[in-house]
Amino acid sequence: MTIAVFVLLLILGVPIAFVLLGTALAYIEISGNDVLFASVAQQLFSGIEQYGLMAIPLFMLAGEIMNRGGLMRRLIGLASIFVAGLRGGLAYINLLANMMMASIMGSATAQIAIMTQAMVPEMERAGYRRDFAAATTAAGGLLAPIIPPSMLFVIYGVLGQIAIGDLFIAGIVPGLLLTSGFIVVVAVLGIVHDFPQGQWLTRREMLRAAVRGLPSTAVPIVIVGGILLGIFSPTESAAAAALAAFLIGRFVHKELDLREFPDMLLSTAVNSTLVLFLIATANVFGWAIIFEEVPQRLTLWLTEFSSDPFVFMLLVNAALLVIGAFIDSIAALIIVVPLLLPIAQGSYGIDPFHFGVVVCINLVLGILTPPVGAGLFISATLAKVKPGRIFVALWPFLVVTIAVLVLLSWQPWLVTMVVR
Amino acid sequence: MRLFSRVSNAVLGAEKRVVTVLAAALVLLILLNIVTRAAGAAIFWVDELAIYTMIWMAMIGASVMLRMRTAIAVTLVTDFLPQGIRRAAVRLVDAILLGFAITLLVLCWQWYDPVALIQSGFDLDVFAENTFKFIYTEPTNTVGIRKFWIWLAVPVMAVGMTIHAVANLLEGPVTE
Repeated sequence: MTIAVFVLLLILGVPIAFVLLGTALAYIEISGNDVLFASVAQQLFSGIEQYGLMAIPLFMLAGEIMNRGGLMRRLIGLASIFVAGLRGGLAYINLLANMMMASIMGSATAQIAIMTQAMVPEMERAGYRRDFAAATTAAGGLLAPIIPPSMLFVIYGVLGQIAIGDLFIAGIVPGLLLTSGFIVVVAVLGIVHDFPQGQWLTRREMLRAAVRGLPSTAVPIVIVGGILLGIFSPTESAAAAALAAFLIGRFVHKELDLREFPDMLLSTAVNSTLVLFLIATANVFGWAIIFEEVPQRLTLWLTEFSSDPFVFMLLVNAALLVIGAFIDSIAALIIVVPLLLPIAQGSYGIDPFHFGVVVCINLVLGILTPPVGAGLFISATLAKVKPGRIFVALWPFLVVTIAVLVLLSWQPWLVTMVVR
Repeated sequence: MRLFSRVSNAVLGAEKRVVTVLAAALVLLILLNIVTRAAGAAIFWVDELAIYTMIWMAMIGASVMLRMRTAIAVTLVTDFLPQGIRRAAVRLVDAILLGFAITLLVLCWQWYDPVALIQSGFDLDVFAENTFKFIYTEPTNTVGIRKFWIWLAVPVMAVGMTIHAVANLLEGPVTE
């Protein structure tokens, strides 16, 4: 019954956070557990009373400052020293820009929307076919969940009560696998579909790009270095990154206008609320699924089906692909982790880091998977190309991602060897 | 109808200013923590205060989100409906959201129970004895004030959401 309420509200287009709240309220009403009503408001509050969650607004702010302070542009310029002359050079740069944008967006579909509008016209001007331009842009978002600072990792760490810094480390090998896979895809696509040959920068331009881009590298260094060396918690590294980005944007590049600050803080607050309020309502929603014994029933059903962790991981992957196609990745993560992680750990002995990396990559994949992936349709609408044509250009990226997911599901040590 | 839109927009403006300030406070508090710890003089209440700052930002931000219709939703089904039905669906969603907002408001009222508080003559211990509700006696860990002040974020959000939900419902779907 509660599940019917959930599905109905979701399909109607009620914001997901309110779907979770409404389902919880319906559950309390139907079950007659009226005492629970008294603590709904307090539970909303305590759902986000977590130190680790502060990393979300802080990383978003750091990203905003990098964007408006000209740091992003210079980092991309720096990267173009190495790839600009390759066939499909702009495609590589697009992947990189997407990875960086992921740090300031609370929603993967919103990211696809913004990046499609920014990158597709530029690639078209450089001579790329529009469908390929849209496909590479959409694919770039797939790298986001595992490159620090990953919103999904921060949220997974908080939900699963595991160290977020270690999760970033666990994502290194899978990240390298996925990135190199994508590089191969762009290279092969470039030959098959005759991507425009890029032009190497002249030596003077290279030097200029290097000098201009170098200070900006301080920000990723602060984030990754601070966490890896254990100087900062991820939350602190996010604040330090924001400060570093501010100092560089203001005093080195002199592009940051202080009058823009209120606006940046406002979009940080609004974007992080999208995520935080979801986590708050998921906390009350948790009651409904626990009291309905959804986890127990699911565990029973799964363990009867198979006791093999690899089979379990494959099942989870298949289920999440479907869920991810309907529901934005962060929202989906918030809903499924409390449900599936205890089963993965308790009944199958799966390492929480291993589980997290696979789940996070998978949920972003879902939004690009036909026939329903929301990201695919947004990309198609904004680029004014048929979804089918984007998919034709996109599928090699999806295949690589699925291959990496199966490999990671099969060989947990690829994730766990660097942790601890 | 006009009146509600105007009230809602005024509230929205105030909320936006507040979340802007809270976002700034959040980053400054965490930076303060880094600096004081590096100097070997960590201030023990900063972490807790920072978390509360974030929660207030998120709660008031949620009210902003409702007015601006920016929350993440699944629009896959409604996007394929003919325009007339789609507009009806938006109105229905607005009505549902108003229902949730009012429910939250009622729940907050019961939680804070202002009537019983007045009857207890604002004596918080008498209130706890009379009602067996311990909302007003719960302390914060390090900040040094009672927790009900901090929890006020939820009723503040509920009030904002109710105002915005009424305005959204009366204004109807945004014309494309």
